[in-house]
Amino acid sequence: MKPETRKRRRSHLRIAGAVALALGIAGAVPARAATDPGRDVIDKKCASCHLEDGKLTRIPEIRKSPEGWDMTVVRMGIWHKVELTADERRAVVKYLADRQGLAPSESAAFRFLTERRPNMQDAPPDDELAQMCARCHSYGRVALQRRDEDEWRKLMHTHLGQFPSAEYSALGRDRNWWEIARDKMPGRLAGLYPKNTDAWRDWSRAKHRPADGSWVVAGERPGWGPYTGTMTARAKGKDQYEVSYEFRFGAGNTVRGHGEAVIYTGYEWRGSAKLGNEDTRSIFALNEDGSRIDGRWFLKGADEIGATFEAVRADKSAKNALVSVSPSMLRAGDTATVTLAGAGLDPKVDLGPGVEVVEWLGKSAEELKLRVKVAADATSGLRKIAVGGRESDRTVAVYRQIDSVRVEPAFGIARVGGGTNPPVSAQFDAVAFLDGADGKSGTDDDVRLGSVPAKWSTEPFDERAKHDEDLKFAGHMEPHGQFLPSFAGPNPNRRGLNNVGNLSVVATVADGGRSLNAKGQLVVTVQRWNPTPLR
Amino acid sequence: MKRLRALNHKAHLIEQAASDGHREEVQLMSSVVGCTTTFDPGWEVDAFGGLASLCQPMEADLYGCTDPCWWPAQLADSLNTARDWTDGKNSALRDWRELQTLFPGD
Repeated sequence: MKPETRKRRRSHLRIAGAVALALGIAGAVPARAATDPGRDVIDKKCASCHLEDGKLTRIPEIRKSPEGWDMTVVRMGIWHKVELTADERRAVVKYLADRQGLAPSESAAFRFLTERRPNMQDAPPDDELAQMCARCHSYGRVALQRRDEDEWRKLMHTHLGQFPSAEYSALGRDRNWWEIARDKMPGRLAGLYPKNTDAWRDWSRAKHRPADGSWVVAGERPGWGPYTGTMTARAKGKDQYEVSYEFRFGAGNTVRGHGEAVIYTGYEWRGSAKLGNEDTRSIFALNEDGSRIDGRWFLKGADEIGATFEAVRADKSAKNALVSVSPSMLRAGDTATVTLAGAGLDPKVDLGPGVEVVEWLGKSAEELKLRVKVAADATSGLRKIAVGGRESDRTVAVYRQIDSVRVEPAFGIARVGGGTNPPVSAQFDAVAFLDGADGKSGTDDDVRLGSVPAKWSTEPFDERAKHDEDLKFAGHMEPHGQFLPSFAGPNPNRRGLNNVGNLSVVATVADGGRSLNAKGQLVVTVQRWNPTPLR
Repeated sequence: MKRLRALNHKAHLIEQAASDGHREEVQLMSSVVGCTTTFDPGWEVDAFGGLASLCQPMEADLYGCTDPCWWPAQLADSLNTARDWTDGKNSALRDWRELQTLFPGD
């Protein structure tokens, strides 16, 4: 398309947007008391186009996650030139996510997507839905929406109009794609993800426990290891909190910080904080009774680098609520120091037969620290931990030797960076396993022991990578398993290539006098220019 | 394939995969979440889970991908969504540093 033609079309679009906005502000919207800034945005800006016979169209027919609504609002800006301030954007997303969100049970299966966990494998339920939806974007982007059949069909029309390549790229052109999209998919999707559900009816009517108070927290940052600590949330307005954190990663590495958080839809925690010298974002969820939080926090601008997060309320009602046990694996015949973190903990711990408490090193309601002796003949495998006579869902593993190691993720992506688009690194973890009952490594009954320290290296993945010298150009591996990719842009020293690479990631783990190796694959690939919160 | 003859490396890869009995394996429908799985030729990875069959260097063919809206979830789609994405940046090979990411920060 010639640039002149493009510019002319753009200017027409802008004029149309301006006219629509002017109409909205001039009174096309029914008068109403503006009690909520989000509603105000809908009345003054969205209604300029989404109003028919005095009723809003499209908007009331959809439910989405906060990120889903944010992407919709941003899309209206990009496609239709709706101009919103940052405050207006936040307000309208809050308004819509609160009133037309997802119940916890509706978002649970795709939290890995919401939390931006890197290098997860996508999970469409079958080939038809994968080919229709997940060949361009994640399937979770679909599964985190709720619509009726007519509204799903409108989404199909939107896709055809806006992204016509869907019909002629592979898996579109080799079938009656439009007939499937228009006639079959809307009914299927409305069956899977309908607008009206019992779960949403119950959740939207219920009162939800605020997040303010003290929490005992734990998690693991790949490359750094596990941490425990505290979080304190102070209410500063409806659904808004000031939050302070203290994370103890181990001797000499305590990270403190503070920030803010907003709760959407009664349970969706979205926070920002300065932790140590790092700017972070948090995406957590309160459980249905508000007694626990879990999720992930990550670096602002580098969401692939982050940590898991779990928390239990540390109030008077907490009774033996365990959040973490460290270490997660105990060798038979050894003596070890074990730390349990939680709320309302009684100093009475049962780690199962063959594991004896020989000394108490600390007893508080939020942390129990003890020396244990593991019998040489203690049974290998996972065992549930009981605190104060109450069995928890937390486990510790007893082992004699590590049977195998896996590199996680088994297949990872890193992206070269430069220009306006920062690099995306890839963090790998070495995870130890026992063989399980079948005595074979790599089978479904293997017992996961936990992350173990490893020495990291990289190799060419195949002959092609060796020939192209990918190892030399693609980047380098840090000692803690983080691969830092190289610069973007064509590399004049590589004929016809930039700094992409196809590498094997090798972890070498010492276990007593033995050495175990494991391999994963790392593709160092090109940049992504559309970094939506739901990919 | 009888009437077609592989001339370049990518074509040889496809020919070799078919002759080695890997025809079914090249249609991955699961990948790292958010990466495209439309492998013609693929944006992040190719149908073999590698890079050798992608457009390389990517910058040489970037506008050939964005103008026809080929990877609209990964790139700017300059057919409809971001029509002015390449304005004043006429050569991706030379001007790639100036290209902007699309989704605004919070």
